[in-house]
Amino acid sequence: MLAIQTRGLTRRFDGRHGVTDLALEVPAGSVYGFLGPNGAGKTTTIRLLLALLREEAGEIRLFGEPLSWTRRAPLSEVGSMVETPSLYPHLSGRDNLEVTRLLLDGETASIDEALALVGLTADAERRVREYSLGMRQRLGIALALMRRPRLLVLDEPTNGLDPAGIVELRALLLRLAGERGITIFLSSHLLSEVEQIASHVGVLHQGQLLFQGTQESLRRRHGDPLAIRCGDARAVCDSLAHLGEQPQLLDEGTVSVPAPRRADHEINRCLIERGHAIHAFGRRPHSLETLFFELTGQEART
Amino acid sequence: MSALVRALRAERIKLRHTLAAWMVPLAPGVILLLSLVQLGFAHVPPPGPTDPMEAWKHFCQGMFTLWLFLMLPLFITLQAALLAGLEHGHHQWKHLLALPVPRRTHFMAKLCMLMAMVAASTLLLAVATPLVGWVIMQLNPAQGLTGSPPWAWLVSRALASIVAAGALMALQGWVALRWQSFTVAVSVGTAGMVSGFLIGQSDRLGHWFPWSMPVQVFLRDGVHLWFVLVAGLVAGVAIAGFALWDCSRREYD
Ligand SMILES: Nc1ncnc2c1ncn2[C@@H]1O[C@H](COP(=O)(O)OP(=O)(O)OP(=O)(O)O)[C@@H](O)[C@H]1O
Ligand SMILES: [Mg+2]
Repeated sequence: MLAIQTRGLTRRFDGRHGVTDLALEVPAGSVYGFLGPNGAGKTTTIRLLLALLREEAGEIRLFGEPLSWTRRAPLSEVGSMVETPSLYPHLSGRDNLEVTRLLLDGETASIDEALALVGLTADAERRVREYSLGMRQRLGIALALMRRPRLLVLDEPTNGLDPAGIVELRALLLRLAGERGITIFLSSHLLSEVEQIASHVGVLHQGQLLFQGTQESLRRRHGDPLAIRCGDARAVCDSLAHLGEQPQLLDEGTVSVPAPRRADHEINRCLIERGHAIHAFGRRPHSLETLFFELTGQEART
Repeated sequence: MSALVRALRAERIKLRHTLAAWMVPLAPGVILLLSLVQLGFAHVPPPGPTDPMEAWKHFCQGMFTLWLFLMLPLFITLQAALLAGLEHGHHQWKHLLALPVPRRTHFMAKLCMLMAMVAASTLLLAVATPLVGWVIMQLNPAQGLTGSPPWAWLVSRALASIVAAGALMALQGWVALRWQSFTVAVSVGTAGMVSGFLIGQSDRLGHWFPWSMPVQVFLRDGVHLWFVLVAGLVAGVAIAGFALWDCSRREYD
């Protein structure tokens, strides 16, 4: 069962890319990290999934139900937060939820339930103007939970949060996914941010999906590069080239081997035997940028 | 229908602690206070009519002309912009329009809310005008206000002026919802009000211009009363229908 499925989904802006021919497949029950640099088309995609934008071509299905600009019925399964939370600062947290509850014809109990889930019960009567950024973000998620959704669509939910806030949000999302089985689709421009919670990832670049699958499969396809910090990087490069590896000189003190042929410990032993001073040796996790370069490079080659 | 009722209840909550809510009593209050100061303490009474009923009508007419000519267009402009600004200003459309509620419901609720506020303020003025008249009676008997005020006449005219403002409310409502900038709404409203001030005095054109339609109910013994009633209603419904269609097809940020 797919929570989100799109086929050939396209939306351009005055000839600019927006998103092109998008084929998303988000399994029900997954936490899906939707990655891409600024301007990749993440927000555009999310707006299309919420029927906030007209699709130019292609189709969208949420839990098998077709959704489009004119067919919005499946939205009753979806809770959303796009970019910044949509809040009325002059109202209390509770009144903000009450506005949405009335529009949804929800039960009164759903307000307390949502407040408790995001840990805002004690601050419910305070005006949102007095809330911290993290509290607003959590209230935004409470707003998205008012529908008791099967799918939660969040656009850069960690925007502006401090490290503690990010950890807190991550725990909340994991709880929602684990305890309630809510499918979570969240966008981010940082791999490190989603890698701890996402079971699946999609990588978007210039409006096109470069990769989609489980996180393991992404890592398998693009192993982390070996990074070596050493005294004389040029000499280390030469030695590695001798061994048949393809080293890259990053700077005067750092050498990277994107895809080593030998085992790491073997390379390490060889370098030490040749008398190089090795300060640090190990796999450096991919930054999203290097992953992008690899993905776009591969696209270009095939 | 019930979606609209729920949206209206939501609108009422959104108005808590807002300037827009305070404007409902404040706008007629300013007009009442101005009249009170002007007439209550005027040393030279104007050579007004001697018949008490005529004196009352003259007094009410003066009050409502001030309201309908000056304050109401300003009030409608400001309220429409404030009501729409609640959503434009706080990135609300991307939340509201992603709810499983027909898009037009949100816009319809806004237009209804605008009408309700205009009606409330105008009726407040209608009820308070005789009270202020009574105070003036005590302060300045020379004004000739005696006996009981023409309640039925006053309230029916006030209701008529609300209907005659239909086109104006729908028009300003549409502008405020359609353009996210407060400046656009206020510019259109001000331009209309200034033109209405000139056009409204014309016998031939006054009843054709949305900004000067409401005041025709009281001007020139209401010769154009029925025209502006029908025109305000028909044009109001037509423009409101267009506004709902236009706003519902827009992609809001
Ligand atoms: N309303 C719009 N009008 C014109 N162009 C737009 C509009 N919305 C998005 N775009 C363009 O579409 C592209 C994708 O933008 P989008 O906001 O979807 O990117 P994003 O991945 O969300 O980026 P970010 O990480 O900065 O939020 C950009 O080139 C942007 O300029
Ligand atoms: Mg974005």
